[in-house]
Amino acid sequence: MQASRARLFKEYKEVQREKSADPDIQLVCDDSNIFKWTALIKGPSETPYEGGVFQLAFSIPEQYPLLPPQVRFLTKIFHPNVHFKTGEICLDILKNAWSPAWTLQSVCRAIIALMAHPEPDSPLNCDSGNLLRSGDIRGYQSMARMYTRLAAIPKKG
Amino acid sequence: MANQTEAGPRKRKAVDGELGVDAVTIMETNQLPAEEEDAIDSNPNNNSVGAGASGTHEVFPEEYEWSCFRDAEIMQQQAAIREEAIKVPYVRDKEPLSALAAEFELGSSILKEKIRLLGEQYTALRRTRGDGNCFYRSFMFAYLEHILETQDISEVERINGNVEQCKLTLQSLGYTEFTYEDFFSIFKEQLESVLQGKETSISTEELLSRSRDQFVSDYVVMFFRFVTSGEIRKRAEFFEPFITGLTNTSVEQFCKSSVEPMGEECDHVHIIALSDALGVAIRVVYLDRSSCDNGPVAVNHHDFIPAASADGSTEPFVTLLYRPGHYDILYRR
Repeated sequence: MQASRARLFKEYKEVQREKSADPDIQLVCDDSNIFKWTALIKGPSETPYEGGVFQLAFSIPEQYPLLPPQVRFLTKIFHPNVHFKTGEICLDILKNAWSPAWTLQSVCRAIIALMAHPEPDSPLNCDSGNLLRSGDIRGYQSMARMYTRLAAIPKKG
Repeated sequence: MANQTEAGPRKRKAVDGELGVDAVTIMETNQLPAEEEDAIDSNPNNNSVGAGASGTHEVFPEEYEWSCFRDAEIMQQQAAIREEAIKVPYVRDKEPLSALAAEFELGSSILKEKIRLLGEQYTALRRTRGDGNCFYRSFMFAYLEHILETQDISEVERINGNVEQCKLTLQSLGYTEFTYEDFFSIFKEQLESVLQGKETSISTEELLSRSRDQFVSDYVVMFFRFVTSGEIRKRAEFFEPFITGLTNTSVEQFCKSSVEPMGEECDHVHIIALSDALGVAIRVVYLDRSSCDNGPVAVNHHDFIPAASADGSTEPFVTLLYRPGHYDILYRR
């Protein structure tokens, strides 16, 4: 508990210091609880998520960084490896391939990479996975783009 | 556009229900009518999919569950394995070698003969938990116990130098310092405290209880994982052929998926790297059913001698017993 708190504090300082280094990621720690974080990530360019801003919720276990943070999308997203209803993410580094060498910041980068490179063979969203697996790239892209516009593009004005 | 949106649902009958429900949900919750129209225009089939599928939707939650079943099942099984493993401590009490003989009483004659032969050179063993970290955990305890018993200050100074070197290696490989520094300091703390005559000094009993403490024990294991990974990446050219032969992945991928995560088992590559990086020789005694056709049964062992002291003069003081899939600690006569 003490160790995870200390580690998270280091991450917090690093995030403050590197704020401008990665303009696609905005990580924010909960005011009253260092075990709760949220992140805003930009949809990668040349993907159906381009132009969207996606919110992630981090819940960090007491054994962090020996155990991975739990991360899910709060913003609706149509992606083979994200559960459409719960926002749960299927990503190896959040499960068995986790190691303390990862940070909350690098997890965000990995999630952005996953958005650009979906892995339809281990789908959490079968509709999305099946579109890609059947080679219907345009079908997948138009669905993903539609949900990006519906859920991830901020209202104007 | 029309073609592909039609083709999608037709091909994927089984999951239309899911899609339909989702589409309906979105329609209901959407607060932006203008954008909604816009989105539907760009995907004329969406509406009909939602409407058409809503009748069958009750069938499909099951369909969905099924798609997640594998993950859930795997995780359940993993939890069961963990639960089983938790029943034994990370590092167990020392046992006479006869305990091993008793375990194999009904086993193959080759194994029984090998255990008899082991008894000529070794007196005892100490088992470790089979959780994928057994090599590192055995190494940790065997090494620290050796320092505690010998009070070999020059060895401590030597390994401290190597540990500093490992830090620099990770730094130069681009690891963020705060990701590994805590693990380094926990190891150095243990190393410091097995040396006697200080306020922080500990006994063998305390070393054992720390090795059983989840936090200390796992942090030291993780320290070894960082050191191993750093050494492999630093000498990627040397390790690459072994890694390609083992897993057919890149050195970096191997380190990320088979060295750094907790619970990933140790292979020869890892042992060579750890032994080289820390400059500690390790003897691994193999207890398996292999035998020689002509000649008596013999127990094979392999000495991992650190590259830096390749003159062969280093006699390993860390001796581990390998049985396929698992490492324990052996004690010499």
